[in-house]
Amino acid sequence: MNDETKSGIDIQSDSMAASQPRIEAVNLTKRYEDGTLALDNVSFGINPGSIFAMLGGNGAGKTTTINLFLNFIEPTSGEALVDGIVTHKEPLKAKERIAYVSENVMLYPNFTAIQNLDFFARLGGKHDYSKDDYRDVLLRVGLEEVAHGRRLKGYSKGMRQKCGIAIAILKDAPAILLDEPTSGLDPHAGLEFIQLLKDLRGEGKAILMSTHDIFRAKDVSDTIGIMNEGVLVMERSAAELEGENLEQLYVQYMAGYEGSELASVPESVPDSEQRVETND
Amino acid sequence: MFNIILDKELREIIGTTKFAVTFGVCAVLILLAFYVGARNYQVSRQEYEAAVAENIQQMEGLTDWGSIDHRIFLPPQPLATLVSGVSNDIGRTVNMQSRGELRTEGSRFNEDPLFAVFRYLDLEYIFAIILSLFAILFGYDAVNGEKERGTLGLTFANPVPRDQYILGKIVGSFVALIVPLMIPILIGCLMLPVLGVPMDMDSWLRLAMVILAGILYFGVFLTLSVFMSTLLQSSSASLMALLVVWIFAVLIIPRTSVLVAGRSVDVPSVDQIDYEKSRFAAQLWNERMTAMQKWMKANYNDDHRQMRDGMRTFSTEQQALQDEKMNTFVEQLNEQRANKSDLRTGVALSLARISPTASFSLAASDLAYTSMELRSSYVESANAYQQEYSAFMQSKNVDYWGRYRRHGGNDDVEEPDPIDTRELPVFSYQQPPISEAIKASLPDLGLLFMFNAIFFSGAFVRFLRYDL
Amino acid sequence: MLQLLIEKELKAILQSPKFIATFGVCSILIMLSIFIGVREYRASLAQYEIATSLVDQKVAEATSFRNMQTKVYREPDPMQIFMSGVNYDVGRLSQIQSKQDVKLEQSAYSEDPLFAVFRYIDFAFIVQVVLSLFAIVFTYDAINGERESGTLKLVLSNAVPRAKYLIAKMTGAWLGLTIPLLIPILLGLLLLFLFKVPMTGSDWLKLTTLIGVSILYFTFFIALGLLVSSLTRTSSVSFLLLLVAWITLVLIVPRGATMAAGQLVNVPTVAEIESQKDRYRTDMQQDTDEQRHNLWEQVMAPAEGLPREERRAFYQANRSAFRELAEDLQTAMEEEIAEHNRQVNEGLRNAKSEQERLAFLLSRFSPASAYKLTAMNLGGTNTSIKKRYEDQMFAYRETYNSYVAKKSQQEKKARQEAAQKSRNSRMFRMTGSGNEAVDANDMPKFIASREPVGTAIKASILDFGLLSVFTVLAFAGAFLAFVRYDVR
Repeated sequence: MNDETKSGIDIQSDSMAASQPRIEAVNLTKRYEDGTLALDNVSFGINPGSIFAMLGGNGAGKTTTINLFLNFIEPTSGEALVDGIVTHKEPLKAKERIAYVSENVMLYPNFTAIQNLDFFARLGGKHDYSKDDYRDVLLRVGLEEVAHGRRLKGYSKGMRQKCGIAIAILKDAPAILLDEPTSGLDPHAGLEFIQLLKDLRGEGKAILMSTHDIFRAKDVSDTIGIMNEGVLVMERSAAELEGENLEQLYVQYMAGYEGSELASVPESVPDSEQRVETND
Repeated sequence: MFNIILDKELREIIGTTKFAVTFGVCAVLILLAFYVGARNYQVSRQEYEAAVAENIQQMEGLTDWGSIDHRIFLPPQPLATLVSGVSNDIGRTVNMQSRGELRTEGSRFNEDPLFAVFRYLDLEYIFAIILSLFAILFGYDAVNGEKERGTLGLTFANPVPRDQYILGKIVGSFVALIVPLMIPILIGCLMLPVLGVPMDMDSWLRLAMVILAGILYFGVFLTLSVFMSTLLQSSSASLMALLVVWIFAVLIIPRTSVLVAGRSVDVPSVDQIDYEKSRFAAQLWNERMTAMQKWMKANYNDDHRQMRDGMRTFSTEQQALQDEKMNTFVEQLNEQRANKSDLRTGVALSLARISPTASFSLAASDLAYTSMELRSSYVESANAYQQEYSAFMQSKNVDYWGRYRRHGGNDDVEEPDPIDTRELPVFSYQQPPISEAIKASLPDLGLLFMFNAIFFSGAFVRFLRYDL
Repeated sequence: MLQLLIEKELKAILQSPKFIATFGVCSILIMLSIFIGVREYRASLAQYEIATSLVDQKVAEATSFRNMQTKVYREPDPMQIFMSGVNYDVGRLSQIQSKQDVKLEQSAYSEDPLFAVFRYIDFAFIVQVVLSLFAIVFTYDAINGERESGTLKLVLSNAVPRAKYLIAKMTGAWLGLTIPLLIPILLGLLLLFLFKVPMTGSDWLKLTTLIGVSILYFTFFIALGLLVSSLTRTSSVSFLLLLVAWITLVLIVPRGATMAAGQLVNVPTVAEIESQKDRYRTDMQQDTDEQRHNLWEQVMAPAEGLPREERRAFYQANRSAFRELAEDLQTAMEEEIAEHNRQVNEGLRNAKSEQERLAFLLSRFSPASAYKLTAMNLGGTNTSIKKRYEDQMFAYRETYNSYVAKKSQQEKKARQEAAQKSRNSRMFRMTGSGNEAVDANDMPKFIASREPVGTAIKASILDFGLLSVFTVLAFAGAFLAFVRYDVR
């Protein structure tokens, strides 16, 4: 399993791989009318079959980044590209290639889960799914059969989140954008979700995930980025981060420290983190 | 504890943009109603005075009291422009005659159907619509909204007695909404005398009671909204439910119940009554003709002038007798019709009173003297005046046959003097005493109070067992 | 794509419990209003029939043609079921008598003020007030509600052009709200058949046009809801704004405009006018009396100074000649008075039309007024109802008067002949002829014609156009707003 999960980074250095990242930000900058600088010259690339986790506090610019890829806002300068398509120049074309799961998935309350899935699947251009296909996907994301025919009104946050993920899976798009996907999930569901992500990565999808969840980020991602006040202050591959205390780093970057001042920061390493490190 | 909650309610409401916007709209509309009411009164007053003057003018120069056309008019009531009631639907003019039944004619809406198309924007209308919506907009999420926001649970994590909480909420909303509304209302009241509307103590008292009725009416919808918010889980559901209730209470029930109940009692139409009257009159006429014939056969005299005078006296006696018979008959007919009509009105309006808006409208128009009572009191006043007028005419030697005296014939006629119109008794409409108006409005005020009490208790009781 | 989005809109609306509740309410109200309208129409019709048969009876029982007077009534119109307009405010009948003005008096409301307290409920009222609110309740969160719930983001994360999305929203809302409403409307129309309401072909045409305008009016409010929804971020704000807009447009502007016009244009009151007419009559009468007195002097001049008996004999001989001349004078006077009155009435009417034009112009800022005015035009219950009927009644009066005059002459001649045969001619004249009723079977009847369909529909074209413009502007606005809408 380890070999496969590391393959994304290996492919990057392999000349046979696609030379262009699937999801790419090039000097992405966004300044609002009132002067606030939400994003400052952010650049990164995500290759097919790899997961990029974006960490950062509230207002750091994670959601803004995603919104730029979805053309919900336009960049002040720079470009957001999906498969080489500049999203603010050809939004419709770009969106064909993106699947999106928002932070708080709501969907249509008076429709059942299957009705919701059917609508969004067709919207995404997939008209040939059968009811069984929908059921299968729902089961795959961990939603029990009894819930399938129930209206979304009665769903808990976790259930709705799973529906959101199911929709993304059904679209079968090469790029997936996830905004805080695990925020409402209990530990068990979270684990299932991580497994799903790994499966999707295995299918060659490029995944951008913004999250607070450092634990899971370390678990599943190939690259980890830290955003602070609109700047991508750190971008390291999982390999580089091996053996590091990610929490510490995170807190440091949030506070604005870097590099050599590591030693003076008090340690606060939970036991769980230790265990994960030994697993790797 | 109560004070803390009260304080928070006040702040929560008054600080918001929602309040600013809705209060602004209400204030503008209230001031508009007062202003337009005052102006309308002035216009009506001018019209009235012009009509009275013209009425006298056209008599000037006549030499014969028997040939005048005299009309009396209903003067405009100051409060009628604030609460129009049925004042524009009833006739305002009465053609005065020394004898016979008086009839009102020339209602505002018949003369000017333009105004019947959309009708008037009066204070009562504004109150009925605005106050109720205002209350709903701020009360619909009183309880379930707090639950949705999570603040309810947070509040009751402290030692807060439930009764004080709900009491604080209701009183707080009430005070926060009504007290600011008093500002435009008071300004409006002040506008009235400034714009030339004559208000005496009676009128002020009645206006104050109309405003009180408005406050009670507002309370009904506020307590209802709070009650509804304790009944339904989501605030959007209670808003929808309250809007449906609003539509029914304000727009549908009053009209429908009057139409439904109104047709359930059979009241003889005016045409039927007229027909009975004319039939009876024809009968009396025939009787008189027969009597005259008999008299003439018995009293034939070669001296035609003597005979004519004698005949005139006999005829006058006969006419007086017959008038009495006619009056009794007409009284009977009218009484029968009035009884049935009253029954119908009672049934119809009682049914309408399911809606607090109907109660409010009825109370307001009772207090403003623009209820259905207006017509009967006007006719009563006109009848009383008729006695005066008839006596005056008799003193001027105008006989029953009156009207155009021919100047043909061989009498020497000197140029007679023109009549002095100042001698004519002046009609002054007697308003019913204020005690009657207040008495008439009490049942409706009581009903509004009762609605308040019911919904308040409902909200109270529900909240005591409310699932936080 | 479009079809998919429209289908989803339809399903979303039809499956929401809010829809079932509010649609239920609207259906009940629509059918109730038509039911009540039908009942009221039948009551008016019954009343009309009683009234006219009473008039006929009275005529049948009359014993003389002299000074005969009658009344004519406005026949109830089935279209008033749907829009009562000013039908109950305007007089139902007019006296017809040779000397009297034709004037509609005794309106239904003035005779039965009970019904004036809260007034009527009709189909047009329900459309104007309730259906517009219904439209708002469904479209106020069409856009910003989806934004708040996050579904807008999800939808637009797919390759959906915004224009298509909005068009689908509009179409879906329109189909999902309008089509179901046709059900209670059609059911309501069934009531017309059930209660055997006499509807002519032109009536059906007018009714169809009314329903069409109602749908257009409803569409405007759908567009308005979408517009405000695309301009605001939160649904509570758009709801508040739409509620204020609804109150202003539907409840306030129509009345406010009329009142403004009433203040701005001065029209003499009817009381003034009546007194004016009276004054003219009095003056004219005095003149005529003078003239007749002079005439008398002229005629009697040759008998000046003669003894009393001879004067009397002279008077007897010339009496009929004098009478004829005197009557000619009187007739001439009446004609002048009638002409004067007609002119005064005309002047009053013109002033009132001015006022009315201004009032309606101002009120047309609100689509609710435009709708109501069109509905009244189609229902034949607009303000011109007075003029229409009074004109027709005036024409009838001419016919009636000439009939009565002719019959009076005949009667008089017959009586004179009978009097010649008897000794005491004077006696007879004073006590009148016998008690037999006259034969009035050939009396001309008053038949009013209703406004032709063409005129009614032509009059509605303006408002139809106005409503269309309002609707198109609202949709256009919604379009422009949505293209720049911040979906986050």
